[in-house]
Amino acid sequence: MENQLHKNICEERLFSSIFNKYSKDLHNFLYYKFGEMLNPKDKVQEAFVKLWENCAKVSPEKAKSFVFTTANNLMLNEAAHQKVVLKYQQTKPKAHTNESPEFLLREKEYMDKLQKALANLTDAQREAFMMNRVEGKRFKEIAAILDISTKAVEKRIYGALEKLRQDIKEL
Amino acid sequence: MDRETLISKWLDNNLNDQGLEAFKKLEDYDDLIKLSESTKAFKANDYNTSAELNKVLSTIKNSKKETSFVKPWMRVAAILAICFGLYYYTTTLDTNISTQVAEKTNIELPDASTVTLNAKSHLAYNKNSWKNKRDVELEGEAFFKVAKGSTFNVITTSGTVTVYGTQFNVKQRDNYFEVICYEGLVGVTYNSKETKLKPGDSFLIIDGKSIAKEKETLPTPSWINNESQFKSLPYHEVLDEFERQYDVTFISENIDGEQLFTGKFTHDNIEIALKSITLPLRLTYSKTNNTITLKSEQ
Repeated sequence: MENQLHKNICEERLFSSIFNKYSKDLHNFLYYKFGEMLNPKDKVQEAFVKLWENCAKVSPEKAKSFVFTTANNLMLNEAAHQKVVLKYQQTKPKAHTNESPEFLLREKEYMDKLQKALANLTDAQREAFMMNRVEGKRFKEIAAILDISTKAVEKRIYGALEKLRQDIKEL
Repeated sequence: MDRETLISKWLDNNLNDQGLEAFKKLEDYDDLIKLSESTKAFKANDYNTSAELNKVLSTIKNSKKETSFVKPWMRVAAILAICFGLYYYTTTLDTNISTQVAEKTNIELPDASTVTLNAKSHLAYNKNSWKNKRDVELEGEAFFKVAKGSTFNVITTSGTVTVYGTQFNVKQRDNYFEVICYEGLVGVTYNSKETKLKPGDSFLIIDGKSIAKEKETLPTPSWINNESQFKSLPYHEVLDEFERQYDVTFISENIDGEQLFTGKFTHDNIEIALKSITLPLRLTYSKTNNTITLKSEQ
């Protein structure tokens, strides 16, 4: 009986710990997959509120896949499958730079190309690649988040890398 | 190791020193590093986990969803409780019938037994338990025609009358308790002693004393035919009955209420009725409004 009580997500402490464990990964996953336009933060909120409403039905082991599936579905409801354009932080030109304007221009061109190339990736490729390169997550961690095999992650990321390099060369 | 394996291991941060050397010797090493480094500029916005958690928790608390699975059940339970309560209340409720002064009424009981209720009387029975228990409570006077069936009980404060399909009259007034059997067999339980009455037999108790009466010859009590008949009964009983039938009050001067009276009075005409009860005893009466003063002529 006591064990069962502890397993209930309706308890605020357990709910909070689940939130702390998964919300950031969920947010980044949504961001890389769908971009910023569709408010990934709001979707994370909504997904966890839904988890709370169903806390009696969802076991803690299922909580992760529940919120990921819920948030993903919420996004898909809104996303009319437009191109996902990720924003990049502009490296601010230093006040006294010894880099030539030519170099800076080339640099800007490269970033724009990369932006377009990322938008050309499939959702599956982009989410895996960005989690790997930007968040520094290893294949195994990504596999756990996406509920797929490590081999599949490797394939997606490697495929993404090849496609990016090809696109950048062509653009 | 071929190129693809090297790049995959690099991507997975899984290169040993030897592999790293080999990776660095790849012709597109610089391109790969540049691509990888540039990608970092596309990092997702900072995500403040604890701030977001507080937002979620406040949303949850405002919507008060935690009660959402309790409330519908509570509503259903409340409705059921009310319905059941109402059902229980209405089915166990007794049917009550009362008559006022100078009023008579006929009642049909659920099994086609009939009751005629005399003036200023009260009868109660339960429709729903009738099948199992034919019990009526009586205060006052009533004539019963009981259909054949299970035991039929008339419960009064003086005693209980038990029958099986018969016709009988029960009169219970203050210290007066009379049962007359007209047909069938009637059992009267008085002071936990049962007396059996055959047709024509009567059972009379006045002030706790049993009084013997002669055989009843009429097929129904006289009051059914709008007459009150008395055979050797104390005069005050006659006056009490008169008050019930005509809504009047008697004031009697120097009259012996205990003297016995035999006779009858009608329920339809107060002047004739008054004469019927005063002339035999040589009394005079004067009437003002609803008060009648009786005087002895002597």
